[in-house]
Amino acid sequence: MDAALIEARGLDKTFAAVPILRGVNLAVAPGAAAMIVGRNGAGKSTLVRLLAGLSTPTAGEALLFGHPSRTLESSARRRLAVVTHQSFLYPNLTARENLEFYADLYGLKDAHAEIPRWIDRVGLASAADARVRTFSRGMEQRLTLARALLTHPDVLLMDEPFAALDADGVALVAGLLRDAVARQCAIVLTAHQPIAIDGLTFDQYEIVRGRLLALSAEPSGVSASVRQAG
Amino acid sequence: MTGFVAVLRKDLRLEARSGESTIALIALSLLILVVMVFALDPAGGVRDAPTAAAALWIALIFAGMTGATRVILAERDNGCLRALVLSPLDRGALYVAKLLAAFIFMAIAEVAAVVLMVLFFNLDFDSRLLRLAPIIALGALGFSALSTLLAAISGRIRAGDLLLPLLAVPMFVPALIAGVKASGAALTGAPVSAFAPWLKILIAFDVIFLATGYLLFDHVIAED
Repeated sequence: MDAALIEARGLDKTFAAVPILRGVNLAVAPGAAAMIVGRNGAGKSTLVRLLAGLSTPTAGEALLFGHPSRTLESSARRRLAVVTHQSFLYPNLTARENLEFYADLYGLKDAHAEIPRWIDRVGLASAADARVRTFSRGMEQRLTLARALLTHPDVLLMDEPFAALDADGVALVAGLLRDAVARQCAIVLTAHQPIAIDGLTFDQYEIVRGRLLALSAEPSGVSASVRQAG
Repeated sequence: MTGFVAVLRKDLRLEARSGESTIALIALSLLILVVMVFALDPAGGVRDAPTAAAALWIALIFAGMTGATRVILAERDNGCLRALVLSPLDRGALYVAKLLAAFIFMAIAEVAAVVLMVLFFNLDFDSRLLRLAPIIALGALGFSALSTLLAAISGRIRAGDLLLPLLAVPMFVPALIAGVKASGAALTGAPVSAFAPWLKILIAFDVIFLATGYLLFDHVIAED
């Protein structure tokens, strides 16, 4: 098995003496995807922030590419994409300008040529030159996905990427995830409930009282393109 | 370098689109200068250059705080600051890009403030203003460097915008005194040698503020 691109070792996080995560262990190899489910406040977003290096663990280690995520080198950060509840989009820039900004920020000259294709792929071709502040939550989420995947990341951390999306949007995310796994991207995504995607096998986990519990792996080839477990 | 240019260009593009910072800064400068004119000599008449210089620097300080705050606050919308932290861009380069944007907005406001100062204080549009330019440029650079760092700190705290002047103004006082003295001397037509020592103090504080901001910005924007 390839070395894990995403790894948590005995990760603890405590806020104001309240333990949020306790002894979380996780390893995601290239081309693998982990889905972490949990109730509101279970600690899913906290775990994503810790893995991304946006937050410091109280104990344990969060590693990306084998290095502590909190102190990643610039070259490693170039290979990371994060989708959170916040879109990271500038409301007064258009969809195209936002993607151009991120392409420049990541020093991706070739990405400029890909921007129209990404805008088209996420179904925003007719709104490419509209300012993001006029977008609905679902449109913002679609553009957020394009923003994250534009850089062809090797590690993708997604906090509830299906939130605010309609059925077409969910199918879009599913397609993007399949493509990312196919090119050996390691993925961690969170959701309130288990979600199955055709052609994609997730290692499934649930956060219960701060502990990450492994569930059975989701079999691929589920008949419905997307199925939400009740 | 491309990331640095991307951030600066994006800030300038957003400002050109909305004009929020520069309009607010110019309006604030106008307000301060008008209040100063009426406070110092409501009856009108000829004002002295040192008083005009003091009024200009008060406008500079308040405009600078507004500019730096807006440059940082713009990144808090939709968590964009997190995106910058996650990006390959060096945190020091990010700091320089943000302070440069704040400096440019402040410089635009200062040009307007100087014109207003000349008009309100009955000064002349002559070569003395050219000697004033490097002094206020140094002041604006130093204050942008300091207030950008402090705005990043105060932006993380509840009611932090109230904290910014409490932190920034006392720390800037030595540079402020040097700036007022140098500007007053420049406006009265004194030779450069008369205010060179004040200029050196301004340069020294600029170096201190720039180095401190460059080194600390990474820690300031990091989350717990």
